[in-house]
Amino acid sequence: MTVLKEELYQKMSAAIVEMEEDLVAELSRQAVREGIDAFEAIDQGLTPGMERAGQLFEEEEYFVPELLMCADAMNAGIDILKPHIKADEAKVKRKAVIGVIEGDTHDIGKNLVKLMLETGGFDVIDVGRDIPAAEFVERAKSEGAELICVSTLMTTTMDAMAYVISILKEQGIRDRFKVIVGGGPISPGFAAKIGADGYSRNAAEAVRLAHKLFEGKDL
Amino acid sequence: MADGIISPKERLKRKLNGQTADRPPVICPGGMMNAAVVEIMTATGHTLPEAHHSRELMTELAADVSRLTGFENFGIPFCMTVEAEVLGSEINYGALDCEPKIQKERFSSAAAAVFPDRQAFDRNRRVRAVTDSIYALTQKYPDTPVVGSLTGPISTAASVIDPMTFLKQLRKDKDNSHRVIDYVTDCLIHYAAMMVEAGADVISVADPTATGEILGPKMFDEYALRYLNKLAGAVRAMGAPVIVHICGKMEAVKPSVARLKANALSVDAFVSLKEIKGLYPHINTMGNLSTIMLEFGNSDKVARGTQALLRNRIDIIAPACGLSTSTPLANIRAFTETVKN
Repeated sequence: MTVLKEELYQKMSAAIVEMEEDLVAELSRQAVREGIDAFEAIDQGLTPGMERAGQLFEEEEYFVPELLMCADAMNAGIDILKPHIKADEAKVKRKAVIGVIEGDTHDIGKNLVKLMLETGGFDVIDVGRDIPAAEFVERAKSEGAELICVSTLMTTTMDAMAYVISILKEQGIRDRFKVIVGGGPISPGFAAKIGADGYSRNAAEAVRLAHKLFEGKDL
Repeated sequence: MADGIISPKERLKRKLNGQTADRPPVICPGGMMNAAVVEIMTATGHTLPEAHHSRELMTELAADVSRLTGFENFGIPFCMTVEAEVLGSEINYGALDCEPKIQKERFSSAAAAVFPDRQAFDRNRRVRAVTDSIYALTQKYPDTPVVGSLTGPISTAASVIDPMTFLKQLRKDKDNSHRVIDYVTDCLIHYAAMMVEAGADVISVADPTATGEILGPKMFDEYALRYLNKLAGAVRAMGAPVIVHICGKMEAVKPSVARLKANALSVDAFVSLKEIKGLYPHINTMGNLSTIMLEFGNSDKVARGTQALLRNRIDIIAPACGLSTSTPLANIRAFTETVKN
């Protein structure tokens, strides 16, 4: 059984990397039929496949279309497995709020970061695109999130990113959140200048940064 | 040769044709890369978003921008949403300090896309404002080149179809992807012809979704290069030179970019134009002063950055990307004056 299970996990993972949505769904149904633990199948079958896809993206073997198709394949598996997760297994995850700042409706980058943060074990609340700074703060507070991710592709909207941090400071709650920024015109220097906790160049790096920021911190 | 012997129009045209000139022109092509900064608009009262709709205001603002910044051209329109508007997407026209954007794409997938006939461009009021403004500028200022700005085929398609679905379908549904992008390209050729007919001296194409970073080399060749070349070829056949701006890092697509049939290649700040010139001497280079430097730097830094471009013998000097609307006019002036002196 153990050997078979591991073989199945490897197949699921490979099918995600190969963007085989139907095959991932089929393998996930097989896992359910065989009574394999759904949480473990996601954790050891689907997640490693998506992590590998993220790695290929970082190595410029895969680009945005490929990464999105891998994600579709992974989600096809999650849709099938999720209803079978036992209640006591559902892990409490750290929450993150992500969105594109007011003035910008380009959200490809934001969607990629969201995807990789979810793969990396975060519970991600997507506030959408063209979102005012105050809304990031309000949602982070109401959702009990600890991480705020702000993205933009336009230099025009860079100032609005700084407002997120100044609002947190004004309300005296800056230390309750980690704030990371990213997007085309953003540089590490700009992130430091506005007082963000970090900057990442791409989606894979964002996950590493997020993990680093919470290293050793209990949920 | 001193300034004045050769007109800005002649200088830009010579450079785009690979001929020599007294010095490189310094331009800002409009569209994604326009210089209608808040400081200019508040000084003159010719403001956005109103000027996106009115030929008189668009003409006045284009003239203000050229006069106050020192850029040696007019560049209109001031946004990248005209094409998507004609093709049915919902547009948010933005504000004084924020450019227009796509509020909602018209179609959920490439397969679902049905398009109006190309004459929809002739009927659209904003298209008419742009072409009327081009005509007015050419009549009033015969020595200054008018650049008509277009949104490229991939970016326009991704502004009409939900971009996440669109990007996946480039792989999954090639037939419909080609059908849509080919149609969009024909529309852009039609719109470019209207601009050239109105008197535009140069057509500039920016295609920010068509980057090597997003598409990768295979998709870039299959879609971006193919349709950018179809567009550029058609416009050049009309007698107008073409500038193509490629956003983002170019490592993945450098050899492809060498096959672009544009008169000049404009690139982002972190691409070395010196290296591009070395690798592909046949390409006329344009760019690429950092817009971050223009916004947050000072006159001295801007002047030094500009001098580096001049030392590297870049053919046409221009900003590297879209300017922030809060860019100080003093920095833009330092940029253009360094080129002129």
